[in-house]
Amino acid sequence: MTTPQWLVGNGQIHDLVFWLIGAVGSVFLLLVIIIIVSKAWREYVEEGLRRRRVELEPSFFKYVVGQGPIENYLPRPLARKERVLVEDIFFDLGRIVKGSVRERARDAFEKLGFIEHYLEKLESRRWWTRAEAAEKLGLMGSERATRSLITHMDDQVPEVRVRAARALGTIRTSEALRPLTRALLDPGRWSAIRVAGILIGAGDESVEILLQEFHALPMHAKIAAIDIFGRIRSLKAISLLRELLASPDPDIRARAAFALGSIGDPTSASYLTESLKDKNWAVRAMAAKALGRLKEEESIDALCASLVDPQWWVRANAAEALKNKGTRGVGALLAMLDSKDVYAAQQAVQMLQESGLLDEMISRLASEDGEQRQNALDIMAKLVKLKRTDLLTEMAHTHPESNIRQRLAIILGLRPHPRQTA
Amino acid sequence: MKEFLVQAIVAFNDFVLIYFLSLNAIYLLLFVLSLYEVLKFIKRTFFSDYQQILQSDMTWPISILVPAHNEERNIVETVRSLQLVNYGEFEIIVINDDSTDRTLKNLIEAFDLRRVDRVYKRSLETKPIRGIYGSLTQQHIVVIDKERGGKSDALNAGVNLSRYPLFCSVDADSIIEDNALLRVVKPFMEHPTEMVAVGGIVRIANGCEVHEGRVSKINLPTTWLPILQVIEYLRAFLTGRIGWSVMRSLLIISGAFGLYKKSEVIEVGGYDSESDTEDLELVVRLHENCRRKKMKYRIVFVPDPVCWTEVPATFQTLRRQRNRWHRGLLQSLWRHKGMFLNPRYGIIGMFTFPYFVVFEMFGPFVELTGYVTIPLAWWLGILNTRFLVLFFVLAVLCGVFLSVAAILLEEISFRRYPRWIDLAKLVVFGIMENFFYRQVLSLFKVKAFFDFLRRRRGWGDMKRRGFERRAPA
Repeated sequence: MTTPQWLVGNGQIHDLVFWLIGAVGSVFLLLVIIIIVSKAWREYVEEGLRRRRVELEPSFFKYVVGQGPIENYLPRPLARKERVLVEDIFFDLGRIVKGSVRERARDAFEKLGFIEHYLEKLESRRWWTRAEAAEKLGLMGSERATRSLITHMDDQVPEVRVRAARALGTIRTSEALRPLTRALLDPGRWSAIRVAGILIGAGDESVEILLQEFHALPMHAKIAAIDIFGRIRSLKAISLLRELLASPDPDIRARAAFALGSIGDPTSASYLTESLKDKNWAVRAMAAKALGRLKEEESIDALCASLVDPQWWVRANAAEALKNKGTRGVGALLAMLDSKDVYAAQQAVQMLQESGLLDEMISRLASEDGEQRQNALDIMAKLVKLKRTDLLTEMAHTHPESNIRQRLAIILGLRPHPRQTA
Repeated sequence: MKEFLVQAIVAFNDFVLIYFLSLNAIYLLLFVLSLYEVLKFIKRTFFSDYQQILQSDMTWPISILVPAHNEERNIVETVRSLQLVNYGEFEIIVINDDSTDRTLKNLIEAFDLRRVDRVYKRSLETKPIRGIYGSLTQQHIVVIDKERGGKSDALNAGVNLSRYPLFCSVDADSIIEDNALLRVVKPFMEHPTEMVAVGGIVRIANGCEVHEGRVSKINLPTTWLPILQVIEYLRAFLTGRIGWSVMRSLLIISGAFGLYKKSEVIEVGGYDSESDTEDLELVVRLHENCRRKKMKYRIVFVPDPVCWTEVPATFQTLRRQRNRWHRGLLQSLWRHKGMFLNPRYGIIGMFTFPYFVVFEMFGPFVELTGYVTIPLAWWLGILNTRFLVLFFVLAVLCGVFLSVAAILLEEISFRRYPRWIDLAKLVVFGIMENFFYRQVLSLFKVKAFFDFLRRRRGWGDMKRRGFERRAPA
C-alpha cells in the first residue's frame, strides 16, 4: 500500500496550498485595509467639507444678495479641492434664495474659473467626465458654454448627448433650443423620455420647433414629440394631432389620441369618436381613454357602443370614460345593465360601484320618494340578475341603516320576505 | 478492503481539490464581474434621472402584487409602505390566500374596504376567488380573498386581476424603499422591448426600526443568527447575482421583490404551483421560453432598489426556509434538465445550469463527505494533519474573502451600515460564519436533497416576529 506524496509529505500540492493561503490571505488583508482606509478617508473628507461649508456659506449668502464681485466677499482664497463645495453651496442657495441668485452665481462661477474648468472637462476622453461637465455647465447656466454643448449633442456616448441636451434646455437661449430636437433622434425610449422632459421644461417654444420639424423626424422621435404635445397641453398642436389620427402607423394614432385627451380640447371629440372604430384595438382604447378626459357629451353613444368592443381594454376605458361624463354618462352606464352583452353589463356594474353611484342607489332604498325607491329597486334587481351581488351582500350585513339592510336582504333572498313570513 | 478505502479517499481528495479550486475560481470571476458592474453603477447613479421617470407619461404603470397568508402582524404596515412609494401610476393588489388569522380583517379595517364586483380576465388558472375587496376612497388598493392555493396560486390570481403591463411581486413581510419602483423600472425604460424581468436587492430588516411603513433607522440585527444572514445576503446579492446578471444568466429573482413583464409571464403559464420556489422556477421558465423563441431578451439584477425583509431568527425556522429553497432549486433543475449542457440555451445551458448542478446541488454532499473522510483517513493512518490544517485554513480564507469582498462592495457603493461598529461586526461575523453556520447550512441542504427525493413539498410554519416599530415621538 503506497500513500501518495501529497497526503503525507511536502510535495507540489503542499506548495500550491501554501501559495494559495498566502495569496488569498494577502487579498483578504488588502480588502480589509481598503475598507478601513476608504471609510476613514471618506469620513475625514466629509467632516472637512462640513467644517469649510460652515465657514464659507455666510460669505456666499452675502455675495448673492449683494452687489460687488465675489472676491470682495471671500474670507480667504479658495483651494482647488473646494470647488465641489462652492458648487453645492451655490446650487443650494439657488433653491433657497430667489431672484437674481442665478445671475450672481453664474458671475461667481465665471470669475472663479469654474466655467473654464468644466469647458476643459467637456473635452475629456472619459465619457462620465464629459457628462458631468455638461451637467454642471447647465446648472451653472453659462451661455458661454452653449456652442460647446451644441457640439456635444453629437457626442458618441448617448449619456453625454442627453446631458448636453439637458444643459441646453436649462440655459435655454434661442440658439440652444433648436439643437434639442436633434436629441430626440437618439434611438431608445429612455433617451426619448429624458429629452422629452427637457423639451417640456422649455414649454411652448419647443412646441413651435417640433411642429416645424415633425414630419422630418424618425418614428420614435415622432412618438416622443406627440407625448410632448400632450404633456405641454399645447393648443397649437391640435390640428397636427387630429391629422395624425389618420396616420398609417397604429402607434402614432394611439398616441395622438392620448395626447388629444391630455390637451382636453372638447372640439376634438368627433375626431376621437371616429377613432373608436379604428381597426387597431390600442387606438380604440386610447381614443376611449381620451374621450373620458374631454368635457363633452356628444361621444356618449359611441362610448356605449364601445362597451361591447371585443377588446377588454377598450371596454374598460369606455366604461371609465362614461363614468367621467356626469349624469348622462352614468345614465348610459345604467342603461348598459340591460345589455345582452354580459361582459359590457358587468363592466358597467364595476364602474357604477367605483363611482360611488351604487352606494347612492342603495341609500335610496330607504327614500320616502316612491319613484326614487322604485328606481333603486329596479337597479338592484338587475344586479341580482347579473349575479353581481358582492357589494350588495356586504351592504346587507354592514349598512348602518337597519331598514336598508333588511331591504337588501330581501332583494338578495337572504331572509324570507315579510309577507311570506306572515 | 483497507487498500480500497485508501484508494477511494485519495481519489476523493484529488477530486475535492479540483472541485474546491474550480468553485473558488467561479466565485472570483463573479466577484470581479460584480466589482466591475458596481463601479460602473456608481458612475451611472450620478445620471439616474429618477425624477423624470416619476413625471413622465411614458413611464409604465405597475401592479404591485402582495400574496399574504397569515400575515396579520405585518400586512397593514406593508401596504402602507407601498402606498408611500414614489411612483406615478400603480395599484396594490393584496391576495389573501385563505389566512386563518386576522389578515383580511386588518386590511378591511385599515383601508376601509368592502366587497366589490370586479371584471377581470382569467389568463391563468387559480383556485376559486371568494371575493374581491376595494375602497371608494383608495381605488388603487384591491384585496383578493381566495381559497388556499399557495403563494404561486395567489400571485397568479393577482396577475389575472392586475390592470397594468408590468407587475411587481412583493412579500407581505417586506418593505420596499421610497424610490425602489423608480429604480427597478429603469431597465424597462432603457430596453423596453427586450426587458423581461428585473430583480432588486433584498436586505434584512431584523433590528431595523420601522415607522409609518418605512425603515426609519438601519441597524444590524441584535442576535447572531440574523447577522450571519446579513453577510450571506450581501454575498449572495452583491457578489453573486450582480455577477450572474452581467453574464446574462441570472436564474433567481427574489420572490420578495421582482418586476416582470406580464405578457411574458402569462405566456409561460404564470407561477408554477407545483414548485416550492416559484420565483426561481418562473425565471428559469422565462429564460427557457425566450431562448426557445430565439428572442433578444434581458433578465437583470439591479443593486439599488431595496426591499427590506425579516429573516428567520431561530434555527428551526431557518432550517425550514433553507430546506424549501434547496428543494425548490432541485425541483427546477430536475424539471428543466433538458437545458443542462444544451448549447441551444447558450450560457445558461452550458455554464449556469452545470454550475448549479455541480456546485449548488452536489456541493453540500462534497463538503460533508470531506468532513467524514477526515476521521476515516486518521483511522487508516493516512491523515496528514499539517495538510489538513493548511487546507482548512485555505477553505476558511476563501470563505472569508468572499464575505469581505461583499462588504467592500457594500462600503464603496451603498453604505447602508455607516457605523464603524457595524462594519467591524460584519467582518468578524464574516469570519465566524465559516466555523459552524456554513456546515449547518450544508446539513440542511443534504436533508433537503432527501426530502426532494421523497417528493416532500410545502413551506412549513415560518414564524415571524414582525417589524420593530418605533414608538411615536
